[in-house]
Amino acid sequence: MIKESQDVIVKTRARLLTPFIVIYALYVVMHGHHSPGGGFQGGVILAASFVLLAISYGLDKIRQRLSEKAASLLSSLGVFIYAGIGLLCLLLGGKYLDYGSLSKLLSVVPAKARSLGILGVEIGVALAVMAVMCMIVFTIFSSGEEDKESGGGE
Amino acid sequence: MNIFFLIIGMGMCVLVFLCLYRVTFGPNVLNRAAGLSAVGTKTLIILLFMGVIYDRVEMFVDISMVYALLNFLGTLVLAKYIKQSGEVECQL
Repeated sequence: MIKESQDVIVKTRARLLTPFIVIYALYVVMHGHHSPGGGFQGGVILAASFVLLAISYGLDKIRQRLSEKAASLLSSLGVFIYAGIGLLCLLLGGKYLDYGSLSKLLSVVPAKARSLGILGVEIGVALAVMAVMCMIVFTIFSSGEEDKESGGGE
Repeated sequence: MNIFFLIIGMGMCVLVFLCLYRVTFGPNVLNRAAGLSAVGTKTLIILLFMGVIYDRVEMFVDISMVYALLNFLGTLVLAKYIKQSGEVECQL
């Protein structure tokens, strides 16, 4: 288990850096169709902010913020947004993930609807990737301690 | 001006190999960790030089910022692992 760090430099730097990391991740998600990045990369950077906090402030405190249940719920919500937008396009008479047909619902021109549709899909991908990455990293961080406890009990 | 950045970038590549020597033959695990961190920082600078040379610096700045973040995180995780594994004596 990752314990809380005793080093004031690491803790202060993590505390000061985390808001900028989150804002940068949101920029990567929002600006994904003009520059390198997108949903997956933005989600990974969002998860990196959680990992930084988990290293410096201990895993227990971060588990209170993002529990296992919330992480699995968020990953399901991300997949739901992705598939839901695709199915919405299907219901509105287009092909699956054909964002142009969203223009009837959003009452904008099809080009604008395509831009908004890809943004919604990327938000869904970012949520799912963030939750799954956090779950993987937290499981890796905590599994060694559980093994040691069960080994000591035998 | 591009020639200038090209020459500086080539010099940075040579410096990466010097750091790689420390990573490979470092007597201590802490030397290796510091060498890895230095290699990451130099890679970031080389990425920015490539952006200047290809005239797409606004794109390469994004990539290099992510690289800096992940390099910092990796070094921190490595330091945490070294401290908890007890391979070297830490003063904390």
